[in-house]
Amino acid sequence: MIVKTQYVTFDQELKLQSGATLGPITLAYETYGSLNEDRSNAILICHALSGDAHVAGKHAETDRKAGWWDEAVGPGKAFDTDKYFIISSNVIGGCRGSTGPGSINPKTGKPYGLTFPVITIGDMVEAQRMLLDHLDIPRLLSVTGGSMGGMQALQWAVSYPNRIRSAIVLASTARVSPQAIAFDEVARQAIYADPSWNHGDYYQSTPPNAGLAVARMIGHITYLSDASMRQKFGRRLQEKEKFGYEFATEFAVENYLKYRGSSFTQRFDANSYLYITKAIDYFDLSQGLSSFAEAFRKVKSRFLVVSYSSDWLYPPAESEEIVRALLQNGMDATYVEIQSNYGHDAFLLEAERLAGLTRDFLARVEKEGVNPPPGADRKSR
Amino acid sequence: MANEQRLDLDAIVDLVPPQARVLDLGCGDGSLLQRLVQEKQVEARGVEISESKVRAAIGHGVSVRHGNIEEGLADYLDEAFDYVILSQTLAYLNKPAPVVREMLRVGKHAIISFDNAGHWRARLRALRGEGMGFTLVSGEPRARAITLGQFREFAASVNGRIEQSVLLARKRCMCCSSSLCAWCAEAAVYMLTRATAS
Repeated sequence: MIVKTQYVTFDQELKLQSGATLGPITLAYETYGSLNEDRSNAILICHALSGDAHVAGKHAETDRKAGWWDEAVGPGKAFDTDKYFIISSNVIGGCRGSTGPGSINPKTGKPYGLTFPVITIGDMVEAQRMLLDHLDIPRLLSVTGGSMGGMQALQWAVSYPNRIRSAIVLASTARVSPQAIAFDEVARQAIYADPSWNHGDYYQSTPPNAGLAVARMIGHITYLSDASMRQKFGRRLQEKEKFGYEFATEFAVENYLKYRGSSFTQRFDANSYLYITKAIDYFDLSQGLSSFAEAFRKVKSRFLVVSYSSDWLYPPAESEEIVRALLQNGMDATYVEIQSNYGHDAFLLEAERLAGLTRDFLARVEKEGVNPPPGADRKSR
Repeated sequence: MANEQRLDLDAIVDLVPPQARVLDLGCGDGSLLQRLVQEKQVEARGVEISESKVRAAIGHGVSVRHGNIEEGLADYLDEAFDYVILSQTLAYLNKPAPVVREMLRVGKHAIISFDNAGHWRARLRALRGEGMGFTLVSGEPRARAITLGQFREFAASVNGRIEQSVLLARKRCMCCSSSLCAWCAEAAVYMLTRATAS
């Protein structure tokens, strides 16, 4: 599957949740499959922290790697491009073609850097809504994503209940835990501590690669699990038989993290990492409400919520919390906890087990779409 | 538990009117709910504890929540459903009373089916010292043997009023000519509703 990234620029300014404005905004996006005549088969895929619009396929035959979720998006896969029109866009604040801190501020002619306003998951969704308007898609069959992508799917269900028929939320949470915020803050501190960061002003010089690499290493620890690390690395030494009694990389797990960290700096902007982790930390659908369930009072879509048993970043209990809140509102929530040792990364790796679930769920949504779920008429109680 | 062995499913399907809102607790692979959707066009929901069965039920086009029914049905609204079904599951619950009380809150009607431990063959086995530690129909182990009389007593204790009862057997009653009796029913289906405070 050969795909091309497309770009759209909106001239109107986006009013952000913080009260600040941002604009003009460019969004990078890709589409797969074809839109049907009544424009009812569109599915929006939202990416996680380090993802981008390039979810599947290759840009050229010679590309070494396919898109970040190629296992799940394509003909006959979890999100079947033979049946559905798939849309994927890079979030604002990102660094993969959409407007972010590394973009040129048209008012100054210089990169935004730290003058870029702090954004939220709600702001990302607002930009995606502009994209859907541009593509003239009145209502999505589904919106889906894992991790931060799942947060966007939840935000869609809350912000635009009439524009989605279903939401598929994987390995996610409706309010980010203090533990997850803590890891994000350590990652940000690693970037701040790199002298090359220079308060975000480094686009004309050397970027803070060392800090960003450490941030990414911390992230990767939270994406794995104790079991998956034991399985993948054990206490194996890297190209060595015996301890060297020195500080060079010795254990296989160190080597893995180092490789992941440094390769990340080739494709990601440190300031984007700061802005996106901040957006994640702010995410709490129940912020300012009297109860968690109240956050879901306006939703109308059907839900498929999937958690992974060894995910300790957004553990199954946080998915169950979402499901319980939906039930308290009389909504339809299908929930599965998948047994997996892969930790948070399972949402990317367990594509085959996910495929059966999404196929069956989407088939039901297409069939039933219009019926109100049990108890929906009792919401006023 | 293969479906052709199950005596209670037809009786349960008969009890549910078209277009009802139905919650099946311990719905297994969702085949009962699928039948109810196909034959009665119900709005179907299930709860199931096993991941593989949850997946199978989703495959049968049912909305299922992966979870333990004994950890609470508290999140469901009062009378969110017309019928809450507990088929061949009562005997396996650690604490049946709170579950059935919740069924009577969440649904207007509760439908409960179980194998009759008072069946003469079960009693015979018990006399031989073989106990009632497995179901009559499928041979699966179970925690609890329930007779019809015990169930009626239990229903009253959780403030449930019996609206209907259906006794089931593969063969006609051997000891009395007309209908099935407590000795000859292999399984039973009861429909309860919340007893009004007197």
